[in-house]
Amino acid sequence: MKSQKLNRMTPYVFMAPAVIIMGLALLYPLGYMIYGSFRAWDPSQNISETEFVGLKNYITLFFDPAFRESLSVTLTFAFAVVTAELAIGVGLALLLDRNIRGMSVLRTLFILPMMIAPVVVGLMWRYMYHPTVGTINRTLKSMGLEGVDWLGQHALLSVIIADIWQWTPFIFILSLAALQSLPRSALEAAKIDGATGWQQIRYIKLPLMMPVLIVTGLLRLIDAFKVLEVILVMTEGGPGLSTEIIALRISRTATEFRELGVAAAMSNYLLILLLILTLGMFVITRLQEARAARQARQIQEED
Amino acid sequence: MDYDRQNPAFYALLVALIFMAVGPIVLMFYNSFKLDVDIIGGTSGLIFLPTIQNYETALCDVLWYEPKHLDFCALKFGGAFVNSLIIALVSTALTLIIGCMAAYALVRFRFMGRDTASLTTLMVRMVPPAVLLVPVFGLWNNEFCISKKFWLGELIRDTFGGRGDVCLAGTHSGIILIYVAMNLPFVIWILQSFIVQVPRSLEEAARVDGAGPFQVFFQIVLPLIKPGLAAAAIFTFRIAWNEYLLASALSDRDTKTVPILIVNNMSEFNVEWGVIMATGMLLAIPPIIFTLFASRQIITGMTAGAVKG
Amino acid sequence: MLTKLKRMALGASTALTMTSAAIAGPYDAYEGTTLVVNFPAHPHYNAVMKILPEFTKETGIEVEVDQLPYLKMRERQTLELGQDEGDYDLIAYVVFSKADYVYADQLENLARYFMNPKLADPSYDADDLIDGYVYNIGFAGGNKGYLQGKTGSLFGMPYGSETSVLGYRKDIFEKHGLSVPETYAEMLDIACKIPQLEPGMGGLSSRAASGHHAAHAFLLHLAPLGGRIFDDAWNPIVNNKAGVQAANALKKIIDCGPEGAASFGFGEALGSFLNGDTAMFLDTTVVAGQIDDASKSKVVGKVGWAMHPEGVRRGSQTGGFGIGIPKNAENKEAAFLLMQWLTSKTGDKLVALAGGNPSRFSTHADADVNAKFPHMATFGEALKHADPDWRPIIPVWGKINADLGTTLSKVLTEGLDVQVALDGVAERTRGVMEEAGYYTWQ
Repeated sequence: MKSQKLNRMTPYVFMAPAVIIMGLALLYPLGYMIYGSFRAWDPSQNISETEFVGLKNYITLFFDPAFRESLSVTLTFAFAVVTAELAIGVGLALLLDRNIRGMSVLRTLFILPMMIAPVVVGLMWRYMYHPTVGTINRTLKSMGLEGVDWLGQHALLSVIIADIWQWTPFIFILSLAALQSLPRSALEAAKIDGATGWQQIRYIKLPLMMPVLIVTGLLRLIDAFKVLEVILVMTEGGPGLSTEIIALRISRTATEFRELGVAAAMSNYLLILLLILTLGMFVITRLQEARAARQARQIQEED
Repeated sequence: MDYDRQNPAFYALLVALIFMAVGPIVLMFYNSFKLDVDIIGGTSGLIFLPTIQNYETALCDVLWYEPKHLDFCALKFGGAFVNSLIIALVSTALTLIIGCMAAYALVRFRFMGRDTASLTTLMVRMVPPAVLLVPVFGLWNNEFCISKKFWLGELIRDTFGGRGDVCLAGTHSGIILIYVAMNLPFVIWILQSFIVQVPRSLEEAARVDGAGPFQVFFQIVLPLIKPGLAAAAIFTFRIAWNEYLLASALSDRDTKTVPILIVNNMSEFNVEWGVIMATGMLLAIPPIIFTLFASRQIITGMTAGAVKG
Repeated sequence: MLTKLKRMALGASTALTMTSAAIAGPYDAYEGTTLVVNFPAHPHYNAVMKILPEFTKETGIEVEVDQLPYLKMRERQTLELGQDEGDYDLIAYVVFSKADYVYADQLENLARYFMNPKLADPSYDADDLIDGYVYNIGFAGGNKGYLQGKTGSLFGMPYGSETSVLGYRKDIFEKHGLSVPETYAEMLDIACKIPQLEPGMGGLSSRAASGHHAAHAFLLHLAPLGGRIFDDAWNPIVNNKAGVQAANALKKIIDCGPEGAASFGFGEALGSFLNGDTAMFLDTTVVAGQIDDASKSKVVGKVGWAMHPEGVRRGSQTGGFGIGIPKNAENKEAAFLLMQWLTSKTGDKLVALAGGNPSRFSTHADADVNAKFPHMATFGEALKHADPDWRPIIPVWGKINADLGTTLSKVLTEGLDVQVALDGVAERTRGVMEEAGYYTWQ
């Protein structure tokens, strides 16, 4: 009897610590925040002392041009970064998928950018972008070209470049792993049939890699909305609002403007946006999986 | 193994890529040994007189001698390093234990609420830390507290000092709690794909031999997913070690971690590039060590679940 | 005979004990206390750190300092001041926090400390403290709510205050026969001549980065050119002629400035001057110490100082930090003693010699200080024109400041038209002020 009871309770016992911690430290704060977004909340107040203002925070934000600009910066940043990293990462993987000595050393070196702390990445690039003494401008000048005011005129581009530096290796490694796990039979069959390198890529490699690429791309997209520390250290959102992504604006609204209710409403907007993207991710993944399964079956039947 | 020959352009590309990937880090390394005046003045790169002054400034509270150029010890890197280490190690350990138990339950057992749990775990992953900042700050400071009048609160105040109610904010446990919660979804996701690969037959055989579920878990399953555990450990440690935003909101002067120290040091009055580079280098050392020695585990972790087969 | 001696001895020893009790030092009751203080990472407070051991030696009171970047310090203080029992006994607050803290009743009114004969030092000489600083940083409740006036009272002491001053490269000016600018017209003229006379060099190095920096730079020019943010009825007049003139002055300075000037924060602007990339520097007096530090500056000994140029009037910045006692502090009296010591004549002189900013007229005129820092005399002169109403210190200023700063940054980097930009700021400011209740009496 006792062992049966233990058996029934076992899954709950295994799950319990995780559930408690996530509930206490993730779900309760989220709920707290949703509650707080309907109130006028100053940081010196306890939430019970705040007054209810309904949808005022949401409406203020909706019509706030600063919020809209921040939103467009966020979307631009996220999509630019993901597209560039996918293109470069996959391209590199396709190029480097060869039998060379020292591949593992190469992979080790390529992972380094990912492991460095975002604050340190921001620091390094801030130094390199410095208009007079930064490495980039000094190199340009030594080649006879003019220096560029990176963080002043092209702030968003500069930030995007820094993120590409840090995360392209992620896409690269994953694509490489995907490439190296493709069924050799299909590739050999194509080679025998006389397909050129480019045709091999377009008709066999890419389609078979699609599921992995989609998952990776969407993972990266979600993470792109979380980027904050790099931007904070490099530009603090400036000049103007040109690099102020929503995560940064939320943090600023909370600490500098001291309006926690508005910050909470903005967080909710961000979450809704991410929810839409995640749901889109699910749908597309399911569709892709079905399609890939169909294609794989087709290839196998042809063998 | 037979290696193909490649044309020189290929190797040139490789060299360029390595240079771009590792270059900035090496640059920071070099600059950390230069004086500020040299860094800003742009005395060109490779030939200069190295100095350990920046490291002396950074590490002034653990040095056994007093550096001559310093009037007082402003940076307390030693203390911050210890804080970072405690927080990172404890949160990694806790996340692993709790995470793999939960991952096992989600994979192997059918129970009520399983799908909800699975879905929630995935959804929670998309929450940016900035969104948690506001409520966590409010809760950790005002609500998750033990009143000073309560016996436990008094006991803590008597042993550890400090003033006011005992709240989670400003304690190591407060930061550890939020880190564990943030990392659990990812760890559960990674470990799930490893546990799935453990053949059921092994577990069933153990069950037939009379082992209870806990024994099956600890003695059969865990040893077989060691690579997964290693990967998860490295990722969790990396996040806990490098994180800035939540730590800066939840720490006080005794629980500062290294990223907070670095950002605080970039004061607008006196950008001491040399010291900043030195502290950045010091922060980057554990992740670099991990990368050099455990790159295979890291890659395994990254590809788990994303690449099938 | 013996009894007489005994009585004399008893009398003498009693007298001695009573005298020693009477001359017990003011610090004795607090010996062994540890004060926890919150200071910003700022050159003045770095100098303070150097002299704190003196205080401990003299009084036996230990001081534990939590030094933070000043924006972070503000956040931390907001948190601590709102608790029932705070961590800090003494805080250094940024001048525009004065409004928030006093309004939320979080700072101790210093009146009763100065009334307490055991704590107040009769040789303190408060008249020696610089007027502009005291009224801008320490006083609250006076005219307009934040200036000198019969209705006001003291909540903090100015400490680490700064005014604005013009630093220039003596060698460059001599080389091209330029005279030190006295008026705005002259200064702008020289600023744009320099890049032509010295290729690669900027005219004037200024803050301009989006947000607080651009706003600060703008305000520097607004007061001397006769402008104000608000009129007496709190209507925004930042977009009047003087305002536009100030914004144009800023734009001209940035255009003729060194490379990348439009994104300079304070650190970069100073760095540019220290590196020899610009000929002039118009900003806070705080930087003086760094100019002569060989490990940071390449222009040691080449810099001269002049007063902030005159527009239609002289009106240099007043700002910086003050120190105050939180209402929820644990050791308020000991904190007051620290505050008094730091701002006393001796304390002020010590901090000036260590490289900090003095708060007293006498320190600026002191011979020893001037021997070590010859620019102190010029600074003392400049302080006579320090304008306490340089910037409105009201609770909603933070928001207005942020808007002003981001808008001005757009003027500098995206070419937004000055009048349009300032009109926008005035309109949004009016909205903020209305919501905060400033038009209730109109």
